[in-house]
Amino acid sequence: MKPTVRDLDIRGQICPSTLLTTLREVNTLREALRSGAVELLVLTDSRDATHTIPGAVSSMGYRVEVEPRDAHYAITVRRRGP
Amino acid sequence: MIPPTEMAISFSCLTLGAAAGFAMHRSDFCLAGAFRDWFLFRRTDLLRALGFLVALNAAAFAALGALGALPVFPFPLLGPPTLATAAGGFLFGIGMVLAGGCVVGVLYKMGAGSVLAAVGLGGIVAGSAVYAEIHVPWRSLAAAGALPRPAVTLPGLFGASPLWVGVAALGALAAALWRREAARRGTPSAVRGYLTPARAALALCAVSAASCVLASMPLGITTFYAKLAAWGEEALWPGRAGGLAYFSAVPLDVYLPLWDTALRGGPGPTWDGIAAVQGPVVVGIALGGFASAVRLREFRLRAGAPLRQYGSALLGGMLLGLGSRFASGCNVWHLLGGLPILATQSLLFAAGMVPGAWAGSRLLARFVIPAAVSGGALSTLVAAPDRSP
Repeated sequence: MKPTVRDLDIRGQICPSTLLTTLREVNTLREALRSGAVELLVLTDSRDATHTIPGAVSSMGYRVEVEPRDAHYAITVRRRGP
Repeated sequence: MIPPTEMAISFSCLTLGAAAGFAMHRSDFCLAGAFRDWFLFRRTDLLRALGFLVALNAAAFAALGALGALPVFPFPLLGPPTLATAAGGFLFGIGMVLAGGCVVGVLYKMGAGSVLAAVGLGGIVAGSAVYAEIHVPWRSLAAAGALPRPAVTLPGLFGASPLWVGVAALGALAAALWRREAARRGTPSAVRGYLTPARAALALCAVSAASCVLASMPLGITTFYAKLAAWGEEALWPGRAGGLAYFSAVPLDVYLPLWDTALRGGPGPTWDGIAAVQGPVVVGIALGGFASAVRLREFRLRAGAPLRQYGSALLGGMLLGLGSRFASGCNVWHLLGGLPILATQSLLFAAGMVPGAWAGSRLLARFVIPAAVSGGALSTLVAAPDRSP
């Protein structure tokens, strides 16, 4: 089954809101993310977050991908593995 | 009419500021984030890069001193130690976390389009204006808190030479340690035009050293913020700024042998040495951030933050303005300029700023970006791997 994508648009926010808000969402969606039912798509314009989010969320056991888009970045958090 | 020599100095400072702003934007070299993220997430890479930069500057200043390229030592505007500096550092530490950047960070972020950073900048100017109103009683308090031995640097306190060789050795040691650290890391980045913090530190060290040669002092900008406050007051309330003791002070009085000219100036609402040196650095840092963002096609006006984040930026900016006046300088001045020569004022500033950044981090997580993680420390969540699925 294709996972549902949950968008989290946090462009323009104060540092380190991007990481804190992403951690909150990962925490809230924990079960759905772990089961693979949901993927989290974070939109951010914080250059620093392209390092901090993958670092933090990877250490929690998730797979993270960062992709440049227009004037911002898309960070996808999903379950590790198939 | 600005004399040609002063214009040349200003243009040099503008170039240095632009180089600093460009490098800081490319690496997101946020000095506030270095401490904030250590307290919130136990993240240390930026803090290590900052330590590396301080050590590099120590080595660079030592080399310049040995070559006779530092005409004024200790640097101008560094004064004898007082506990007031630590108090100012504490306020500054809180402010830089709440504002989402320090007095320099808000500039390159604003240049890249952040409206929040512009609000923080407005707060800094407002905080500087508030300080001008309480300057006289604060100055008495600072005098009461003066340490018994008024040495400007730690070596001077003990009657020793500036310890150029020892400081340079320390810098070289730190650089060697960093190289080992960098060799272990080196993860590729998906971010466009990324400059690693180590490379940004090298660039900022070059800027600091060039500033010492060109302007006889390391980078500093906060007296110019006070000058902006004075100009603003003069525009809104003519005669007010001229009547305040703080705006009449002329703390800068230095001869620049490279340019064969003297610079005098202070926070008052006139074009003077402070405006000629610090003003272009301020503009340059913002322009550097802007140029970097435009070149990466990342420039956008960004204003979508919740209202409480704007409140935080404004309050944090005001604390930055107040704290930097209480401490006679900001984190860039003290950490990157004073600390490398073991200036006593700068050591006290750091002693106050670090707990201030801790307090600011608590306030930020509690009131500004609340409920990030329920029922546990952030660092615990980040550090402990979730073994699922």
